[in-house]
Amino acid sequence: MSLTLRLVKTMHSVLAKAGRGGSLPGSLALVLDKKFISRFHMPRIVVIVTGTNGKTTTSNLIAESLRACGLKVVNNHRGDNLNVGIATLLAVNSDSHYNVQADAAVIEVDELTVYRQFENLHPTALVVTNFFRDQLDRAGEMETIIRKIMEVTENFTGHLILNGDDPNVIRIGEQAKQAQVHYFSVSRTENSSASTDEASEGKFCPVCGRPLKYEYYQYSHIGRFACPYDHFGEITPFLNVDSVDYRNGTFTAGSHTFHSFLNTIYAVYNCASVLCTMKALGLDETKADTVFSSYELKEGRNETFELSKPCVINLVKNPTGTNEVLKFILSREGEKNVCIFLNDNDQDGHDVSWIWDAHFERLNDPSVRHIICSGLRAYDMALRLKYEGLEDRITVIENSTKAVQWLDEQNLESYIIATYTALHPTRAILRKEAKS
Amino acid sequence: MKIRILWMYHDLMDLYGDKGNIQVLKTRCVKRGIECEVDTCTIGEDRDPDDYDLFFMGGGADREQNLIYEDLLKRRDAIQNAMDHNTAFLLICGGYQLFGQYYKDQDGQKIDGVGFFDYFTIAADRDHRCIGNIAVEAEMDGMKFKAVGFENHGGQTQNVASPFAKVLSGHGNMYKSGYEGFMNSQVLATYMHGPLLPKNPVIADILIRRALKKRNGVVVLQELDDTLENKARDVMLERLKIHG
Repeated sequence: MSLTLRLVKTMHSVLAKAGRGGSLPGSLALVLDKKFISRFHMPRIVVIVTGTNGKTTTSNLIAESLRACGLKVVNNHRGDNLNVGIATLLAVNSDSHYNVQADAAVIEVDELTVYRQFENLHPTALVVTNFFRDQLDRAGEMETIIRKIMEVTENFTGHLILNGDDPNVIRIGEQAKQAQVHYFSVSRTENSSASTDEASEGKFCPVCGRPLKYEYYQYSHIGRFACPYDHFGEITPFLNVDSVDYRNGTFTAGSHTFHSFLNTIYAVYNCASVLCTMKALGLDETKADTVFSSYELKEGRNETFELSKPCVINLVKNPTGTNEVLKFILSREGEKNVCIFLNDNDQDGHDVSWIWDAHFERLNDPSVRHIICSGLRAYDMALRLKYEGLEDRITVIENSTKAVQWLDEQNLESYIIATYTALHPTRAILRKEAKS
Repeated sequence: MKIRILWMYHDLMDLYGDKGNIQVLKTRCVKRGIECEVDTCTIGEDRDPDDYDLFFMGGGADREQNLIYEDLLKRRDAIQNAMDHNTAFLLICGGYQLFGQYYKDQDGQKIDGVGFFDYFTIAADRDHRCIGNIAVEAEMDGMKFKAVGFENHGGQTQNVASPFAKVLSGHGNMYKSGYEGFMNSQVLATYMHGPLLPKNPVIADILIRRALKKRNGVVVLQELDDTLENKARDVMLERLKIHG
């Protein structure tokens, strides 16, 4: 047994006994051995999940669905998607000879670093959820990310599970000549629209640069489109969601009806990618339905805390995710308070200008009684809302405990939106306040 | 009174929330009873810049910049005409670069600017990207003030005859350079995103005055309550350890 692997495993079990998880063992491993990740003998099925939004949810749904098929699966279910998290996952789940002890590994990988991990992990399938404008100071231009992924998939011979309704994702399929390309798509629903004010990417054909023509939009730039000149975007879906029933929270694909874990269009896309993956791997995709209907979203994804009245918290990272969360909040009946925690630490992105690309004007709705702005950039958020005419409804409470206490005192349902580094501290405060 | 704003390439040059600038200008006019009309203009669309009081163009990625520059070059004379008739200009990032001589990207590919000014821009390698919070000290139309924003540009702009501001913290026109942007009595060109105007209402009001001047002469603007704006700016100045 290699010394590094032994050390890493020991460190993990010591930390686990002390009640601590985390990626520390993986960090140590990579310091001692730069090629650590490439040393593992991977299981026969390796699914990598990447993209801008929905990675954690999608990879967890795939992992659970494979388990429902009777497979032993390892996955980084908490979203530790950088090399240290992946190194930890593999070390903990392998024997002393670097054999990963499972039938399948489902690994969420950060879209900025996936090109570096790709060959090390010997994937059988790569799932790409979507590409949205994200934290630009961290990510750089989206174009660079896509090009780097295209470089590693160019000669890939496995399965590519791609969102066929995202022009940026299709580019990967168009260019990978050796791979087995499988697109998932969602047909027009009652909420689809003919035009959009949300799309910031995907307006132009990546081949010829002329405007893409959309039949309909689902959200952001996701929808059905094609280039009238070179036919870019005319795909044949391998897995198509034929209809969505928002009243019952179900959708149909092929001849089967499935339950969505959340009654939103992006959740249906998450489910579609799971079904597409299973079908491509030759598994019975109907087994996923029990997973979908019983799946509980992870921390900070629509998580409810019982303050004096229920308080629902959602993580936001970029304009597209924020727009969807805002739609969800406004779809809920009754008067409500909203509280926004905006931070600008490393993992949030230092540049908060993205809040001007998100449609916060939607909060200008009679059902929104009051909006609290908190976090390191509380005043930036307040200004964003002020210039939407919400001046009379906003209050800045920089201290996060006081902000949560204020919500508690109001005796009204509330919705919290938090950026990455604000999420866990805010959840801790909510847990405490919910008990008292 | 009325202001007409021309928002160039709103659908392509719209990185880093630059659209927030338009919203701030609009709101600050409306609050004072000044009518504000905003027209957008994209590739191939027929608009005469001289019909407007303020010309606004934001930033885009290299790809978008490549898509628009030929269209912009075709409008050179029309823009010159608007400039001759006292139109005010706000140019951010890519808009700033393309009003100079040229922009040379990382692969050495050169695209021509409209060449109204002598400066030119050459993209730096990854290690010299200017990125982060920025604070500057500026003097515009006789007013001295501090401004904050966020810069994120690989382009190194050189040979700037009259910069907009002195850098207090951050990079400015070039990696670790002391000066930011370009300015004359009509044009404000800068790398400052954030967006620029919400946290710097002084600049917003100077631009409104400049725009109004085209058809109304010198106008005195009613004061607005800028408590939140100033607080947001002060939080950043304090973080960057800039006082007073």
